Amino acid sequence: MNSKIKAYLFFTLLLTSSVSGCLSEEALESLESENPCTSEIQVRESDGTLKILTYDIAGFSDELIAQFTDETGVQVEFIRTDDAGGILDQMMLTKSAPLADLMIGLDNTYLPTAIQNCLLMEHSVSNESFTATSMEFYDGPLALPFDEGDVCLNYDEDALAAANMSVPTSLWNLTEAEWNGKMTFPSPMTSSPGRAFLAATVDYFGNSPGNESGNMSSWWNAVAQNGAIFTSGWTESYVNYYTGGYGEYMEGHIGGAYLTVSYCHSPGVEAYFSENYTHSTSLVLPRASFHQVEYTGIINGAAEVDAANQFIEFITSIEVNANMPDYNSMYSVRNDTDLPETNGYRYHADQANVSTAITQDLIEQNMDDWLESWQNAVRIN
Amino acid sequence: MILVAGATVKQRLKPSQSQVQKSFRTLVVAVFLIGTMLPFVYAFIRLKMVTGWTVWQALSGFDTVYGGSEALRFTLLEAFASSMLTVIIGLPIAWFLSRHQWKRIRLLRAFLAVPFVTPAIVAAMGFLSLIRQDGILTKIGIDLRLEEGVIGWFAEVSGWQHPGHFIALITAHAWFNLSLMIRFVEPTLSSLDPAWEEQLSMLPGGKTRISRLKNLWIPVIGPAVLCAASLSFLFSFTSFALVKWLAPTSHTLESLMAEAGSSAGIAGYRIESSELIYSVALLQFLILLLTLWITALLQKRYSERLSLLSEQGVRKHHGPPTRLAKLVILLGILFTLLPFVSVLLSSFQARKITNGSVKYEWTLEGWSNAWSGDLSTMGVGEAMSNSIIYALCTLLVALPLGWVLASTIFKLEQSGWSKSSKLLDLACMLPLAISALMVGLGVLLGGLRWYPEMFNWFLLPVYPHVLLTVPFVVRVMLPAYHSLDPAYAEQCKMLKLSPLRTWHHGTFMFLRGPAVVAGSLTLAFSLGEFGASWLLVRSGTWDTLSIVVDQLMSRPNFDPLIHPTAMAAATMLMLLTFALFLLAERFRAHDQRSGF
Repeated sequence: MNSKIKAYLFFTLLLTSSVSGCLSEEALESLESENPCTSEIQVRESDGTLKILTYDIAGFSDELIAQFTDETGVQVEFIRTDDAGGILDQMMLTKSAPLADLMIGLDNTYLPTAIQNCLLMEHSVSNESFTATSMEFYDGPLALPFDEGDVCLNYDEDALAAANMSVPTSLWNLTEAEWNGKMTFPSPMTSSPGRAFLAATVDYFGNSPGNESGNMSSWWNAVAQNGAIFTSGWTESYVNYYTGGYGEYMEGHIGGAYLTVSYCHSPGVEAYFSENYTHSTSLVLPRASFHQVEYTGIINGAAEVDAANQFIEFITSIEVNANMPDYNSMYSVRNDTDLPETNGYRYHADQANVSTAITQDLIEQNMDDWLESWQNAVRIN
Repeated sequence: MILVAGATVKQRLKPSQSQVQKSFRTLVVAVFLIGTMLPFVYAFIRLKMVTGWTVWQALSGFDTVYGGSEALRFTLLEAFASSMLTVIIGLPIAWFLSRHQWKRIRLLRAFLAVPFVTPAIVAAMGFLSLIRQDGILTKIGIDLRLEEGVIGWFAEVSGWQHPGHFIALITAHAWFNLSLMIRFVEPTLSSLDPAWEEQLSMLPGGKTRISRLKNLWIPVIGPAVLCAASLSFLFSFTSFALVKWLAPTSHTLESLMAEAGSSAGIAGYRIESSELIYSVALLQFLILLLTLWITALLQKRYSERLSLLSEQGVRKHHGPPTRLAKLVILLGILFTLLPFVSVLLSSFQARKITNGSVKYEWTLEGWSNAWSGDLSTMGVGEAMSNSIIYALCTLLVALPLGWVLASTIFKLEQSGWSKSSKLLDLACMLPLAISALMVGLGVLLGGLRWYPEMFNWFLLPVYPHVLLTVPFVVRVMLPAYHSLDPAYAEQCKMLKLSPLRTWHHGTFMFLRGPAVVAGSLTLAFSLGEFGASWLLVRSGTWDTLSIVVDQLMSRPNFDPLIHPTAMAAATMLMLLTFALFLLAERFRAHDQRSGF
């Protein structure tokens, strides 16, 4: 046989065997039929450091972590993702060989997926003296709330006044021409406030008064047609596009959006950090808000289980958790705590009109469908 | 007789030197091909299993994936506009640089070439600080970020959403690819016989400027311009960091995949992400393969050199630069330097808000923060040492690998196996057709399928870095092999030097310079690599200096020190890359301007 032909045969054989030999039909089928709770999980190798998977805004200061290390002797290392969606993605991706021991930041719209996929293991921290609102959604042993707040729409009062626009009294107002290109929403595919607001729209359009004039999908389609800006995370929406927030002073600010999704207490946070000044306010419409609870939980396959329990105990302790409004701009989950009065924090924080229609079961059963409906609705190309 | 027979048997048992070499080369080529193909094949098989789509379904279903068609339109538009702008800005610079006798021409070339090796994240930070609210451009009424003033008026009149972002993006791409135009066009023009131009101007077909353009300049420099433009299209098509930061309202195929990348390939979870990646990655691969093929055709035409005179003679003929030439080159250098200066200055400025108005104060706190780091973001020192470790490991693997591949391609050419050499050459360029992000994705999905524990491996980013830098090593080393004079090796053999000494004196001594260039570029590209590392970091803990800059800029920056801290980290990365580039330029042969 000619040596050139031999060489070609050799390389063809080499390539095909390399890509096909290791991929038996059996192995591929096992991927398809993977049961989320039966797949083998390799316990992370202990290196004496508590590894915490969280998102980019979990505002635990270096001093606070130093205090934890002083009290317990446990070293802490953070692995940051962009948002709550990133936390879940990473937990799913590294499920069989986890990189972290503890997650902080999955909220009640993401938690059911994590539980369904057996990504969490039981913790041993007591949930006594937690607020009823924080325990209402999930009170099992796999996750513990560490902060809470109501997700709702925020708008820029000054911008509306300058443009002679009226404050919306229904979500349908946002589909009118005067709002064209002037609103931004974090995507529910990747952002937890985005997902929480999607749940709120399910509630709004699924019940009175919203259901009188269409459904959730048709509203999302209409706002998409009306030039709504969709971003991957809360930060991009609030900081880059929203004109009423602190982003207007930031490098890279784009502006243009007079309304966004944030928290009902976000105007209070603005005031707190700007000496009691804010031109942002929340839009409290019935059933257009969603009570968000953020959780911490031990990742299945964690190496530092004791240290993880200690950290959960630390951040949910009354001493630390009472400062959540300051640390993470969210409400504490401990009873008898409130937002600080300083600089109008509490004064500018509005009370949402939240229903309890969206339960964990409902999210567990329907979230994928809601997301698919949303994705189809906002597709306008 | 017995002894002789024994010796014959021994000779048969002991393979000859060329057989050992052949086996070694075969092994290296096999390792490279398997190492390149395996993660992608695994990744595609995984995506196929998760989505249940065939390759055809993935391609035909492209218009059903979320944001796909819009991203394709934007990618094609921005890549085309970027390559056009590269020609518009780069051609006059290349023209004047090649047609005059410049003092310190190597320095001028180095200034104009440095953007190409600049880490994309540094370029993004440079342009971002140039277009900020108190930036130079905004002060003269061109607000590319908030799109007020002239840009706002244009947006309103044209109905085009965010033209400012688009302009910023294509300008940054043109800045990045400027050196391509110079490296391709200048060698052709600077050695073109001036007599051609003079003779043509006396003929009927060369009386007017337009006729000379048609009959001389387009045929002479057209292929080089098209070649540079097609490479510029390729790099703009796969650009990620610049799109992420300068055009946040739009998606390219690359940024669309980046967003969905971390949730793709997981059975029973976010299937729409896997569908998106599967479909977009296949389409992007086909488009890039087509672009590479067109580029290779153009390069072939470009390599058919028309010129024949020494560069110095031609330059002498044209004489010293005119005022216009000086102005164009000065503007070109200012254009290349502005983003660097802007990053440096921004690292010393912190925002202060007083009564609703923003002022900037000079401070060193950004630098101090960047060095110390915090629990959220790694300090610059640690990130830099990570980057350097990754870059050195990449160098250790990519340089010898690329070198052996280049020598194998050369050997195949010499032995008359031209088709095989071309095939291997094309295979070496494949990682470029796959894009950095897809390389990262391949490692992520392919690797996860095969060996999930590797996500705990510190050196994982070295793998995609090697895949991405080997094509550059091959592109630098192959021309060096072509310019080798075989007479030296033959003389060494005649002197009966050992094979090692023959290789040392006849080959290595002449390839030392190009090897340093290839090595420095490998280090520089590894240091600045963003796409693949970014995707891996989202799923792991491999922080590099590029990633730290991005992480800092992604943080909610109510802290006024976040911006100067990010700029300080970007400045460190910029300085590190400059040092390597200067090293490469010192060893680059005077006439070696093409390639990379």
